Formats: sequence, structure tokens, C-alpha cells
Amino acid sequence: MLSRRAFLKSGGVALFSAGIAGSIPAFAVQAAAANKTAFPFAKKKTLVCIFQRGAMDGLMAVTPFNDTFLKTARPNLLMSAAQSTSDKPLIDLDGRFGLHPSMQVFESLFREKRLAIVHGIGSPNTTRSHFDAQDYMESGTPFNKGTASGWLNRAVGLLKDEALTPFTAVSLTSAMPRSFYGDNPSVSISNLQDFAIQMKGNQSGANMAAKSFEDLYDQTASGLLQETGRESFEAMKLLKTADLKNYKPEPGITYPNSALGNSLKQIAQLIKMNVGLEVAFAESNGWDTHFNQGAANGVFARNVADLSNSISSFWNDLSAYQDDVTVMTMTEFGRTVRQNGTRGTDHGRASCNFILGNDVNGGLVHGKMQPIAVENLEDGRDLAVTTDFRSVFSEVADKHLKLTDDKTLFPDWQGEKIGVMRDA
Amino acid sequence: MKTMPRFFLSMSVFLGGWLFSSSISDQSKIRFPYKAAGLNERQAAAHLLSRFTYGATPGQIDAVVKQGLTKWFHDQLEAKIPDDTLTSKLKSYDSIELTNEEVLMIYPKQPQVLRMAVKDGFINKDSVGTNSEQNKAALETYMQQNNIRPQKELYRQFINQKILRAAHTNNQLQEVMTSFWFNHFNVSLTKNDCAQFIPAYERDVVRPNSLGKFEELLLATAKSPAMLYYLDNFSSAAGNNKFASKKKTNQQKADDKTAPQNDPLIDSLINMLQKVKKEKGLNENYAREVMELHTLGVDGGYTQEDVTQAARILTGWTVYPIQPYTRDTLRQRAQKLDRQGFVREGDFLFAANRHDSGTKTVLGKQYGPDQGYSEGMQLLQDLAHHANTAKFISQKIAVRFVNDNPPKSLVDKMAKTFLSENGDIKAVLTAMVSAPEFWAASALREKTKSPLELAVGAVRSLNATITEPYQLYNWISKMGEKMYSYQAPTGFPDKGQYWISTGALLNRMNFGLALSANRISGVRVNLPALNQFHEPESSQAALITYSKLIMPERDISKTVERLEPMLNDPELSEKVDKASNKMKPENAGDVMSSERTKKPVSNSKANRKESGTMLAQVVGVIIGSPEYQRR
Repeated sequence: MLSRRAFLKSGGVALFSAGIAGSIPAFAVQAAAANKTAFPFAKKKTLVCIFQRGAMDGLMAVTPFNDTFLKTARPNLLMSAAQSTSDKPLIDLDGRFGLHPSMQVFESLFREKRLAIVHGIGSPNTTRSHFDAQDYMESGTPFNKGTASGWLNRAVGLLKDEALTPFTAVSLTSAMPRSFYGDNPSVSISNLQDFAIQMKGNQSGANMAAKSFEDLYDQTASGLLQETGRESFEAMKLLKTADLKNYKPEPGITYPNSALGNSLKQIAQLIKMNVGLEVAFAESNGWDTHFNQGAANGVFARNVADLSNSISSFWNDLSAYQDDVTVMTMTEFGRTVRQNGTRGTDHGRASCNFILGNDVNGGLVHGKMQPIAVENLEDGRDLAVTTDFRSVFSEVADKHLKLTDDKTLFPDWQGEKIGVMRDA
Repeated sequence: MKTMPRFFLSMSVFLGGWLFSSSISDQSKIRFPYKAAGLNERQAAAHLLSRFTYGATPGQIDAVVKQGLTKWFHDQLEAKIPDDTLTSKLKSYDSIELTNEEVLMIYPKQPQVLRMAVKDGFINKDSVGTNSEQNKAALETYMQQNNIRPQKELYRQFINQKILRAAHTNNQLQEVMTSFWFNHFNVSLTKNDCAQFIPAYERDVVRPNSLGKFEELLLATAKSPAMLYYLDNFSSAAGNNKFASKKKTNQQKADDKTAPQNDPLIDSLINMLQKVKKEKGLNENYAREVMELHTLGVDGGYTQEDVTQAARILTGWTVYPIQPYTRDTLRQRAQKLDRQGFVREGDFLFAANRHDSGTKTVLGKQYGPDQGYSEGMQLLQDLAHHANTAKFISQKIAVRFVNDNPPKSLVDKMAKTFLSENGDIKAVLTAMVSAPEFWAASALREKTKSPLELAVGAVRSLNATITEPYQLYNWISKMGEKMYSYQAPTGFPDKGQYWISTGALLNRMNFGLALSANRISGVRVNLPALNQFHEPESSQAALITYSKLIMPERDISKTVERLEPMLNDPELSEKVDKASNKMKPENAGDVMSSERTKKPVSNSKANRKESGTMLAQVVGVIIGSPEYQRR
């Protein structure tokens, strides 16, 4: 069992003087003093998970362009990899799969073998309900609704640290995502700047109030309130030193001004601050494309552009940290192989996902996807699930964060890993 | 409840528990052993109010003492105190009394509205998703013309009424129990399919049964559209229903004389309206959670096989199609359906043609064969009265009202009462309050307020006026409790550790500061009025006076002791500013305001404004203080 509060135990820190004025967080100093970790500012490995809510059409993101069945199934949605068309062509990755042209920034990452794609990924539970499928994917138990915890919270429980920090697990969302439900400490916050005592237009008052609160929480008899109070003020001061508002990414890098772009930018800030971030979570919305999905242009194209540009900006912003960061996307299911009556796609089964990192077995489209043909479709309509999402998630968690306890991470799962990560 | 057609099996269910149970609620028999725990009457009243209300209002402790503690508790159990203030505050909310059927008519789901608008030619099919501004306008016109309203308005009204109810109802215990049971039988606005039914779920299923019999509550949730959709039982059908096959031997036909015949029309109508489509088959979700979360508890002694068998028993428990066309069609066939064992109760339908008619065994007891609807009734009744259920529910109630780790001796007493009084919730609560453990030092102020309790409690403490409850909802969400949106069927964990995390704690402090300084629009506090417009002599006096007003019967010495120096030491604020300005050296505003706080607070008019600011800050710090987070 992890000792969550280990870094607080020596107590009696001059929080006020050292904390507000100084820039070294007390918990770091204490952890170092207690010789608990090699060095508190030592880089942590960070896993960044991005949930694409609404179910991404994996066949449009990464298209098996040789499968002629798609021509009849998706007359308005299918793009070609051939250069001759008027629209931008698919980016031919390996002669079989073509990346959507709006994800152009992913091409170099793929060629550099940092980016892997898993196609045919999904859940063994055949539900086509967004809610149920997300719930199952985030709890990590596709046949059990009552699982109280989320898989990423269980991952936090398995981290080998002697001490966690207030920023070990952070979700850049306004409400706690299902993936983070559970007993292990985690924070959900949509804007890091909210991590402060605030009195609009009265900075002096806010400082006074902060001091009062700090004193009150410092002396309270309730252990929980006292410890969390201390942690809160530590975290607050730490962020205050960072001048979040005026954050400057690496030269030449501009994050998309989107929800996902902003989330990833803030995750990058936390990583650069070395505050112990190990599990990060962000969301991307708008993937439920029932109507006029578009092809080279349109809703879907805008979505994948945002996704890939956000991730690529994040990656390049972290140039000095890339060895320690892995990004993984996920979505609850894929979409129908055939387009529907409103030039969109309906709820299907398998989709694809993206994994980016220096220890990723990149440059490959993994999975056992069969050619798109009537006889290979699940229920005669959908791309069949050929890779269990748990196989991929557990491998990434294992190889990147050294979490080997699959039984805890995915209690009902036993299966093979498919080699999306390289052996160290 | 709607009038039921005569031809349906008439199962007029008493929304149970309302009947006065003299042996339990007779106040003369209730004894509160607080004196033995070393508490005086006022302290005991404060404890009662901290446990069974959303927080004491100013003067309420005195009122409870005057009324008598047992009388007060008795009235709360009965929950029949007139609520005129609340009623008038809720008058402007026109959607909170709608039936499920009306909700579906007035607040259809967005994609459905879009489809209707496309079908009626208001929006060009090819433009959907491309020309958003124009389509948005067209959609709005279409909705206005057809009296269709946006769903978020329904949820907004629903959430607003909950906050107003918590803040203003005189029947506080009923509302506290409503929250408790809603969380126990959790459903979630995050699940689209069940969201529309949630307002009626809380109103008709949870609240009326919140102080009744556990069995009635369990049955009502089991039959509610919200739960049937949330845990998917609406789609659960026999995998190998022997009636599904039309080819039958004569012998089978003879056996099946009274059994339902497959009726393709009926089935397709039901399917169409419930989106069952291809996902037909046994669904175990509800059967599992009803045992794990609603009754026996995870260690309640059941197996996976019990879950599967229970799921078979509950096949056919579904939602009565709510659209008028289907209702008419079903009504025309009602007599036949009735003969076949279909049962309708309000929005609930037992679809006999989907039921697994074979023999099942759960926890060693046999159900069926061929008993249809009554098998499920029997199963749920058996679960409701099971000894492990008594334990599990008693434990959960004790966690809610005593502390996060209630003593076993107390839970045992409650469980015993649960069994002997047939799951009478009033009796279980009474047993709890009659036990010494309830009044022990280990119970006092040992619970952490949830964000809803903190926000509403602060409003009640300060006698604040709420004009826009949704602003409070936003704060409550920020503090970590997005009401009605907990995704998992477990409901929000009821423990301090869950609520108190770093980000959430800072938001609690910020909430206190914002509320007391009137920076939450739609919520107004009048701090001078709280003290009958007696302006405190000094800032110290203000600190003491308001600490006592806001935290009556609490030990405020620590709070005063820690905050006093801040008010007294004119240098301190400067020090604080200086320290924090080390990072931002140029900050003229800070210098100015520290000048201000340096001056001693006097009663002169010129200083009134800043003394008001100081007072607001003191009160804000009290609301955000550790002591105030506890109840």
C-alpha cells in the first residue's frame, strides 16, 4: 500500500515563509530529506490518456484503402490514396492503411517509429451505447457495471513511488472522469489557474484569507483536513511560482485553441514543472458523427486535425521530456462500415487508437484486422473487434509505467499482449 | 399515479410506509440517551440538526429545544409539516411536476428533434452538421412552433428545485433521506437513455418512499424507467424463450394454454420504442447490482450463478411504451395481453412474451416455472427482507448519519430492528438515534459535509436568499459533486476522504469567500441582518459573534485564536502582501489595500464599507474553515 502522505509526515514546515516566498515545494524537500526517492525532481514517467468521446470512426481516421468493399459501403466518405484526386489524398502509411489527410502531422511521427496505431481495437462487450461502452472502457471491466474504481485510479495505486504528490494523477476535466474514480488520490481540474485562493479584484484580501486558511487547516484536529489542507497550499504555491498564465511553449509551437489543446498545454506545464505527474487524462469531444461526417473536409476532418495537432504540439513542446512521456488515445467503439442515410455513420464496434512515445513500437499498424468484406463484418455491419482494449492498455501501462499487475488493472482479463511497446 | 386500465392486472400498490406505525413513531417511546454521553440539551439538538438536516438555520437549535427533541424528530419522521415557503419558491418551475409521458413530449432528445425537423422539412438533410448557425435558428423556430423545449432546461429546473428544497423544506429529514436513497439507488444524468426519467424518479419513486418500507422502495426503483434503462433491464429477454418458437408440438401447445404466445406486432412495437433491436438477450446488469449494491452487499453471499438466475427471473421487466400510438395499439389488445400474463403499472410493463418461463434457483430458493411477473416480485421481496440486506442497509445508514466507520454494535441493533420491523426505515432510524453510539464523542462532528451539504448548509447558516440556485449548482460541481451525474451505480462514496481532495478543498475555501462577499450572483447574504443589525464593536467582536452565529454549539476557540492575530496585527497583512509580492514586486493595488487594513476598524461611516469587507472576509474564512467542513 502506498503511503500517500509520506512527504508530509515530518511536519512542522514553515509553510508561510518558505512556501510563499520560496520556490522549492516543501514536500519535495521533505521527500529528499527522508531519502524516499532518489531525487524529488527526478523526472517521472508520465502516461497521458485522451478519451475521444462519441466514438471515432476508425475507418475514416486510418482507412484500409485497398478494400474495395468500402467503395460501395461508403460512396461519400471514402477517400483515395492516389495523388490524382482533387481533394487531398490519404497518407499512405504502409501500402494498406491510409491516414486521414488532416492528420498530416502524424506522418513524420509514424515514420520515425514513435507513433503506433492499433486497428480493430474495442471491447468484448457488444453494447453500442456510448454510456455503457465508455463506462466499461473506463472501469476496465467490460461486463461489470458495479466496479467502483476506474482503471487509471487503480494504476495510481500500483505506482511504485514511496510518496505521491498532489499532482500524481491529474484529469484536465471539470468533473472526475470514470477512469479516475476510486480511493487513490487524483485531482480533476479544468484550469490549473483555479488552483488558488481567489477574491476577484482583491489580491491583498485573497492573500490574507489564504494565510488564515493555512493557519486554520494547519492546526485542525482532523487528520484528513489537516493533511489535505497542507497539500493544497503546497500545491497552490507551487503553481503560483510557475506563472501559468504566461506560459510559453517551446519556440515555434502553437497549441490549437481548443479544449484538447488547452488541456494538453496544461499537462505539458505540469510535466515541465516536475511535480510528479504520472497519470494524466484529457478529453476530446464531437466524434458522434451521424450526420454529414464529411471526408477530406468537414466535421470529422476538423476533429482529427484538432486531435493530431494538439498531440503533435504537445509532443514537440516536450522535446526534452519525450523519453518519459507516452500518449494514448481511446474511444468507446467504432462506427458502421456502411454510411447511413444522412452521410454519416452509426454506432459500430471496433475503432483504432494512437500511441505515441519513444518506447512505443511505432511505425506500424498493429492488430489483426481482416479485410473489409461482408463475411468479415461483425453482425454483418461492423468492423469486428480483433484486439481487446485491455490488451493494449495493460501493455502500455506495463511498459511505460512498469505496472505489471494486470489482475489489479483489469481484473477479469487474461490475454495476450500484441507488442505495441518495444522491449526496454 | 395514472388510472390503470381495468383490463390490466390491477396491482394497486400503496406507496408504502406512509401508514402511521404507532409502535415506532410514538414519540413518547423515543428516548435519546444524550445525557449519558455528557451532552446537554442544546448540544444534543445541534447534533440532531447536523445529522438530519442540511444544516441548522439561525435560532433553530433554540427552536428544537423548545419544541422538544423527540417531538422534533417525530415530526421529521412523519414528514408532514406544511411547506408553504418552499411551495411558493417552486411556483415558477413549470416542469418539475411533469409525468414521464409529458417529459417525452415536451423535452425530446436532441437527435430526435433534429430528425423530426428534417422530416418536417424545416432543415435540409444535407446541411445537417455543415451550416450550423442557420440550422440552429431553424431548429429553434421549429421547436417553438411545436412546443418542444430544450432538455437542458428540464434538468436545470430539476436541479434548481432540489437545491431550493434542500435549503427551504421544513421536512428536512425527508429530503436528506431522499438524497441518501437516490445515491443508494443511483441513476445518472450522464446516461442519455435514462436521463429524462430522473426528475420523476426522484419525485415519485424515491421521495415518497424515503421514510417508508425498504421493500416498497426497492420495488418502486426496480419498476422505474430510470432504473430499467440505467441498468439495462429494459432490454433483458429470455435467450431461449420456448414461446418464441411458433412451431410447437400439440403437447407443448396443451402445456402452454395459459402462457403467452409470441405476438410479433407487440414485440416489434416494444422493440421499436425501446431501441432493443439486435441486442436482445439476457442482460445481467440489474440483477447483479440489485444484489451487490441495492440489497445484499458485495459480500452478501451470492454467486455469479445466482446473478444469472436472478436475471432470468427478471426477464420481461421493462418500460411501458410511452408514445401515444403504441399505447393505443397496446390498449386495443389489452384484454388479450392481460390473459397472457402481461402486467402494467404506470410506466412499468411486465412483457410476458420476453420472460424466461423455466425454473430458476436463487440463494437456494426455487422460483417458477411459469409464474411470470410474480417470480420477480417474490425475488425482490425476498432480497428486501434478507438478513444480509438488513446488515448492509443498516451499515450504510449508520455511515451516513454516525461516522465513516460506525461501530458494529450499533449496526447490529439497527439490523435487528430492520428485520423485526419488516424493513421499516423510520424504525431503523429510530433505533439508531436511541442508541448510545449515536451520541458518542466518536460520532460528534465526525462526518465531512458533501459539497451539496456545505453549499446549502452555508446558505442556511447565513439565512441567504437564493434567486438563482443554478449558481450554487456550479459551485457544488466545482467542489466535486456534480449532482445526479455520478456515472457508476455505486453512487458517490460516502466518506470524508472522497470529498476532501486538494483541488476540492481550495474550492470550498473559495466558495466561502465568494458567498460571504456576495460574489455569487443569484445568492444574497446580509451579514448585518444576521446579527440583527448590531454592528460589532471591533473586528475581534465580529469574529466571535459571527463564529457563534454560524457554528453554534461548536468549540470556536481554535478558530478565534488563529484568526484573531490576523485582525489585530496591522503589520501582518503587510507581511503577507510583501511575502506574496516577492514574486510580483509591482502591485500597487496590494499596497493600497494593506494600507486600508492597517487602520483600526471603527464605527465611523467612512469605515463602514471596509469593515463590511473585513466582516465578509471573516465570515468567508469561517465557512471555508476546517471546523465548518464537518458536521
